[in-house]
Amino acid sequence: MKELLKIAYRGLGRNRRRTLLSALALGLGVALLLMMAAFVEGEMRGSLELGIRLESGHLQVRARDYDSSKASLAWEDLVQSPDVIAAQVAKLAPVRAAAPRLYASGILLAGDESLGVRIVGLDPDSATTGIYREGLRGGAWLAADDREGVLIGEALAAKRNLNVGDRITLLVNTSNGDVDEQRFVIRGIYTTNTPSYDQSNILMPLAKAQAISQAGNRASLIWVMLDDMFQAEAVAAALTSSQYEVKTWEQLNEFVLSIESYSGAMMAVFYLIVLGITATVVVNAMVMAVFERTREIGVLAAIGMKGRRIMALFLIESFLLAVIGVAMGLVLGGIIVYWVSTRGVYLGDLVADMGVTGLLMGDRIYGYLTAQDATMLVIAAFAVTMLASLYPAMLAAHMEPVQALHGGEA
Amino acid sequence: MMLYLRLAWRNIWRHRRRTMIVVLAIGLTTSMMLLYQGLMAGFDQAIYGNAIKVLGGNIQVHALGYADHPDERPMLPIADDLAAIEAAATSPQVLAATRRINTGGMVSNRQGALAVGIVGIEPEAELVASLVGQRISQGRFLTAADGDAVVIGQGLAVALEVGVGDRLTLVGRATHNQMRQRTMTVVGIYDLGMAEIEKATLYMSLAEAQSLYLAPGQSTEVVLWLRDLGQEAAVIRELAPRLAAYEVTSWKVNFPELTQTMASKGAVMDVFGVIMLAIAGIGTLNLMLMAVYERTREIGVLGALGLKPRQITLLFLLEGTLMGLLGALAGVALGLAFNAILGQVGYDFSLYTEMTSYTALIDGRVYSTLALDKAPQYIVTAMVISIVASLYPAREAARREPAAALHYV
Repeated sequence: MKELLKIAYRGLGRNRRRTLLSALALGLGVALLLMMAAFVEGEMRGSLELGIRLESGHLQVRARDYDSSKASLAWEDLVQSPDVIAAQVAKLAPVRAAAPRLYASGILLAGDESLGVRIVGLDPDSATTGIYREGLRGGAWLAADDREGVLIGEALAAKRNLNVGDRITLLVNTSNGDVDEQRFVIRGIYTTNTPSYDQSNILMPLAKAQAISQAGNRASLIWVMLDDMFQAEAVAAALTSSQYEVKTWEQLNEFVLSIESYSGAMMAVFYLIVLGITATVVVNAMVMAVFERTREIGVLAAIGMKGRRIMALFLIESFLLAVIGVAMGLVLGGIIVYWVSTRGVYLGDLVADMGVTGLLMGDRIYGYLTAQDATMLVIAAFAVTMLASLYPAMLAAHMEPVQALHGGEA
Repeated sequence: MMLYLRLAWRNIWRHRRRTMIVVLAIGLTTSMMLLYQGLMAGFDQAIYGNAIKVLGGNIQVHALGYADHPDERPMLPIADDLAAIEAAATSPQVLAATRRINTGGMVSNRQGALAVGIVGIEPEAELVASLVGQRISQGRFLTAADGDAVVIGQGLAVALEVGVGDRLTLVGRATHNQMRQRTMTVVGIYDLGMAEIEKATLYMSLAEAQSLYLAPGQSTEVVLWLRDLGQEAAVIRELAPRLAAYEVTSWKVNFPELTQTMASKGAVMDVFGVIMLAIAGIGTLNLMLMAVYERTREIGVLGALGLKPRQITLLFLLEGTLMGLLGALAGVALGLAFNAILGQVGYDFSLYTEMTSYTALIDGRVYSTLALDKAPQYIVTAMVISIVASLYPAREAARREPAAALHYV
């Protein structure tokens, strides 16, 4: 066995350029697979993370009948005395922050046009609003007692040509089905780097949102952030009461998670194509090499090497080749994936996938490679290379010594 | 030159096995690249094709000045809309051409008010192409004769707590900026599984929209529904002479968010494609190198016979080019066959994901497109790769001392 390994190693070393090129092709293939996996996983993670930061939080405490797509303001769909509940929730150890939010649908009147928007009433002092505060691009952050100030998204400001200090008119739906109309001042402009979200969400202090929507001391939900999102199930179990229901981020982002499985199935086909191309390249080089080395094989057979051993020899060669190739791929892929994960790929400021594919999408995708994906792809690349080298190895094993010794073109 | 070509042609058939290996490698990699392209286009169709149908069709014909109008969906009637429809019908790609009044407004009832897109349509004509008509979950779709009738989305029905038979108040802005209000009955509800999109648009018959918006006999938009996504530019080019008096734009212009999302994803997938090409290129280079070194002795003979290095290079270059051409042709034939099969059978994704039960916008079955338009590009690329790949070994081989080359074993 050790002998074979030595001969195989020499065989590879004798024709260094060929070995290097084959390994490089395999390495590029592996690197490409890793990149693809990182890109898709990164997109899904990004989308899930945005979903959590913008739409769901880690946990939501809300009324049993509350339907988030409806943004109902009927009193029975709302949470009573939300401040008290939020304070109670915030006392739990795994909870980083908890604060009430109120959602109301409304219409922004701008010129002759009416634009559907969502009013988000939030507690400006709470840590749950960090994403907006960090994304403040102009003007000032809201004060809890501000009675006429709102924040609008950068994308909306650009589209409607609005600036800090401008006045806008909002029609807001109320609890009793009326529509209230009021003028507001744009205090500041925020961005979440998610154009589709920024275009349609207008922020105002919770107290003002409660007043204009006539919700009184009620909120749509309590928005809860945890220190560790995987504690969500446990905390939800601890919070469940007869009056309200608790939803975890997994339940609230079911759709994104299901898209992930779709992308997974789609990427599997592309992985197969990449593996197919790599295998074709490697196998053809090997077949060519076997014919080129006909004479050598003839000598080996003539001095008594059995067909099985010759086959083993070539398989070991491809094994070594695969090791070199995969190692190169890991290094190359690792560098690229690291770069994509830290720098991100800019997608442009118009992306608005939400609604079409249901994915909330930022304007930048950061790669993310899971250990599971990497392992699976490396094993697949390895297995495909070995399987593919079976044919050239068998070809070598079945050569007749005498004919092989005469060599060259048959 | 002819002599070299003949020599090269004879040479590649003399080493039949080697030629087969090279041609097979180029052919298989090319066919897989084509399959990749075809599947990508197929996924685009599956993911975005229905969205384009719902958002308003492949190509929109508007009156001149529509795009520059300060309003987003201005009430700008088309001068001779029937002529536009007649012209559109001449293209075989056009599945249907329909007239619309496409504008915005507000819908309200005792539950509140929402901003919506209000679209007057020709229901019978749109039914073949539009997803909305095919996805009615309650009640019925519109008919041309409908007066007091709207079809709304499931999302809107939930938000406003209405069902079939309930009444809604619509407010819109007619021509000459008059505000118009009318209360109408919900006759049908469509369900796409996408609340956000369902909330955004409601439909009524064109005749009713004409009376509501004081535009008798007029329309603001002619929609061309195509058979295949991606043919927009070709159809616009084809119809340009007949539609000179209108503004003709595709969904790429009218739904910029969708375009950019697709474009940036496409760019990433193209980068992947280039890397695949690089892998195939390295493979070809490797094979060419081997093929030339195997023939060192033959090169020595050629040199001994008096061929100059330049001439030997030319000969090997020609051989490489011919093999590249053969490989590319085989690859394109094979790739088109793959795509044709997948285009017929499709690849059923609903087996692997539950997502299609959530939304009607994404097809569970993906059909590869033929990617015929990419074929010339791949033939050229494969040939360029094999020329480049054979150039280096050919030059190196040609420079060898004939005597030394002859001794090569």
